[in-house]
Amino acid sequence: MEALVEALRCLPGVGPKSARRMAYHLLERDREGARRLARALEEAAERVGHCRSCRTLSEAELCPLCASPARDRSLLCVVESPADVAALEAGAGYRGLYFVLLGRLSPLDGIGPRELGLDLLERRLAEGEVQEVILATNPTVEGEATAHYVAELVRARGIKATRIAHGVPLGGELEYVDSGTLSQALAGRREIGGEEG
Amino acid sequence: MAERVRLEEGWVLHRRPYRETSLLLEVLTAGHGRLALVARGARRPRSAWQGLLQPFRLLLLSWSLRGELGTLTGAEPAAPPLPLAGRALWCGLYLNELLVRLLHRHDPHPGLHRTYGEALRGLAVAGGERVRERVLRLFELQLLRELGYGLLLDRDAGGAPLVPEGRYAYDPARGPLPLAPGEPAPRGSVPVSGALLLELQRGRVGDAALPAAKALLRAALGRCLGERPLRSRELFGALPMVAPGPALREGA
Repeated sequence: MEALVEALRCLPGVGPKSARRMAYHLLERDREGARRLARALEEAAERVGHCRSCRTLSEAELCPLCASPARDRSLLCVVESPADVAALEAGAGYRGLYFVLLGRLSPLDGIGPRELGLDLLERRLAEGEVQEVILATNPTVEGEATAHYVAELVRARGIKATRIAHGVPLGGELEYVDSGTLSQALAGRREIGGEEG
Repeated sequence: MAERVRLEEGWVLHRRPYRETSLLLEVLTAGHGRLALVARGARRPRSAWQGLLQPFRLLLLSWSLRGELGTLTGAEPAAPPLPLAGRALWCGLYLNELLVRLLHRHDPHPGLHRTYGEALRGLAVAGGERVRERVLRLFELQLLRELGYGLLLDRDAGGAPLVPEGRYAYDPARGPLPLAPGEPAPRGSVPVSGALLLELQRGRVGDAALPAAKALLRAALGRCLGERPLRSRELFGALPMVAPGPALREGA
């Protein structure tokens, strides 16, 4: 019992109290659920690795996105984490491929270019399929520094590098947007065009 | 009894996730030096602190301190964020790494807080590599002075005044040692001209002297930094597979 409580505490945000509650729930009310959870964890920990092409979490050597013939291979979107891939896939209508850095440049955390798999990214760029690299790292200081670093690497190969836009969230109100975001939004303003065609 | 400080100028040097929804900040404050502060709840989606507690923005910070780790109780912008982008941003990260590595916590350096702000503003407006390099070198010089490891720039290690035409071997531990014509600088020291040292003494460094100033300050900082390398230096010059054009030969 103590071992189970202790093991559950490895989950983010789970302290001793919630761990105990979870353990009681599984043992008193849902033994079958407990067995399912144990099997799923066991299997995932054994079998999920990183895609050899984009570094995201994947069971196969090549993740389903990289393996899909329906994706546009000329577009490559660079993100920080597998969760970012899931977010973009959930609703952004993006049809290209991804490259997952599994982090961002942060000298004080000991994360440099080597830790981000940029040698693998370079090999992919060298294959010649990619025409445009979209930098979708987070709009934090480290995310910006990373975007700039990758962009230099991409441009050195004569490939187009673009950065996702930052600004006011849809349905948001200017009054409540922080000044940093507002100045970014102003700096990245666009001309409103007339009807096309 | 906890010590409380209200609305003191400070900069975030580094932030990392802490517990489930908080941030652990390293800050440089005007009156209390470098501090570690916990910003509770700053990573909640709707937290107003999320966007505000970023490096390179002058803030007014309030905190309470009991022991080593403080708790942030308030943060307000004191100025708009500095528009650091591209390589200027890497330079900023380099400054932050220097400060976190070399400053002890709770050791006030009011002069350094000002110097740091000026350096960041210099980087934000700098148009090119040379301007950025100059900003970095003058900051390093000032940082060493604040730490009590200031360079000896007006006389040599024997106490004789420096002559601009003279050649010296700068030994980080002892200072400038005069070199005879044709004599090579001994191992562990950096060959420099008297003119460069005198220029640095006045807080200036010309374009032509930038490479020598970089070597000198790197050696002097190396003495304080020890064996562990600065990770931000990897960003400069180490771009793999890129032909080293003039725009890329830059660095900290």
